Amino acid sequence: MTASPDDLPGLLTACARHDRRAFEQLYRATSPKLFGVALRILKREDWAEEVLQEAYVSIWTHAGGYASGLSAPMTWMTSIVRNRCLDWLRRPRMEQSDPDGEIADATASDFEGPLALLERSSDASAIAACLKGLEPRQRQTIVLAFYEGLSHSELAAHLREPLGTVKTWVRRGLARLKGCLATAA
Amino acid sequence: MNLRRNPDLQDRLAAEYVLGTLRGPARLRFQRLMLEDAGLRGVVDAWQARLVPIAAAVAPVQPPKRVWENIRARTDGPAGKAARSGGLWDSLSFWRNLGLIASGATAALLASVVLFSPAAPRPAPAPQIVRVPADELPAAYVAVLTDPKSQKPVLAVSAARNSTQLIVKRLDAGIVVPEKSLELWALPPGKAPRSLGVVATQEKHAVNLKGAADAALGDATVLAISLEPPGGSPTGAPTGPVLYTGACVKIW
Repeated sequence: MTASPDDLPGLLTACARHDRRAFEQLYRATSPKLFGVALRILKREDWAEEVLQEAYVSIWTHAGGYASGLSAPMTWMTSIVRNRCLDWLRRPRMEQSDPDGEIADATASDFEGPLALLERSSDASAIAACLKGLEPRQRQTIVLAFYEGLSHSELAAHLREPLGTVKTWVRRGLARLKGCLATAA
Repeated sequence: MNLRRNPDLQDRLAAEYVLGTLRGPARLRFQRLMLEDAGLRGVVDAWQARLVPIAAAVAPVQPPKRVWENIRARTDGPAGKAARSGGLWDSLSFWRNLGLIASGATAALLASVVLFSPAAPRPAPAPQIVRVPADELPAAYVAVLTDPKSQKPVLAVSAARNSTQLIVKRLDAGIVVPEKSLELWALPPGKAPRSLGVVATQEKHAVNLKGAADAALGDATVLAISLEPPGGSPTGAPTGPVLYTGACVKIW
């Protein structure tokens, strides 16, 4: 029996049983979102393609390790892709990501855009409301770090603020998010 | 700094790990602690559940067709079988033997650090590596490690059967990482990786083995390089991501 394309936990369970059709359905259902996530962080299509390939090979191999009670399928798969992107940025290379800064320029200014989208998403309305409740600078640093994969020092350079200040915004913003989500739950 | 006794610090580091602002050596150390500490993995799971839904707002982008074709080739062909039923994955089962319970964070971590060998191992350019007359090639072990991203060879490793030295030749100058060590591992199927030592920065050098190459490499099917703190893994097992792998073959 093959799970329906909307039933991501069912598809992952089927992948753990080596069901190749389920794997293809899972890929069709989830890859555009995960490719979008990788592109935002890596800012190069060839790297994002490579990370996506590695991530799905891992998802296929580790589907048996996915525990549905512990995390939502998209949370689990998105974490795999994001971790791989961050590891990728650490790997030795000669080339630069987005050397002319075109993608960064195009995406950096629209950080309020994703938030509006987030509010309309049923899965993410709680986090959207809590992000909205943060001070603007806390929200900006957290959203930039999450979507663009920026480190503390990259955030500081991008926002032209001292490193210590940026670290404090991130730390306080995360603490406030936790408190807000606990109340919302 | 004892992380286990400091829940506030655990929580802060887990949050920054999931957000992505925990970088460099701190990120590697944190990943190692996660593998050893179920409580910490629970904290990370909770932060993933909090923050990762933010990704819902990312605009979907249809990946090119070739991405699925490559994934299918890599999970269907010899590499896919190797990944599931032998080779590198089996030899990395030590991670599961650390008493890991099922955790979203652990599974995501494992899935994100384990790389697989390329689908078709490249023929080893043995005659160039072992400098002996071509008509009397000695009984030796040879491995060519490749970067799974570019599929390009980055490191050639060879040793005569009875030698106590590995000859390591760097094929790509770009692999040296400041303030990090590249550690070489022998991966025998079904067993924990064995360290063969840290690869030096010069183009060609010898690494001293504890015994003969037959003992160090006899049961290894794959060699791998992991990214480690300066001087190599402090735990005796790989702690950083696996960067390069290659089949280890006996040429006799």
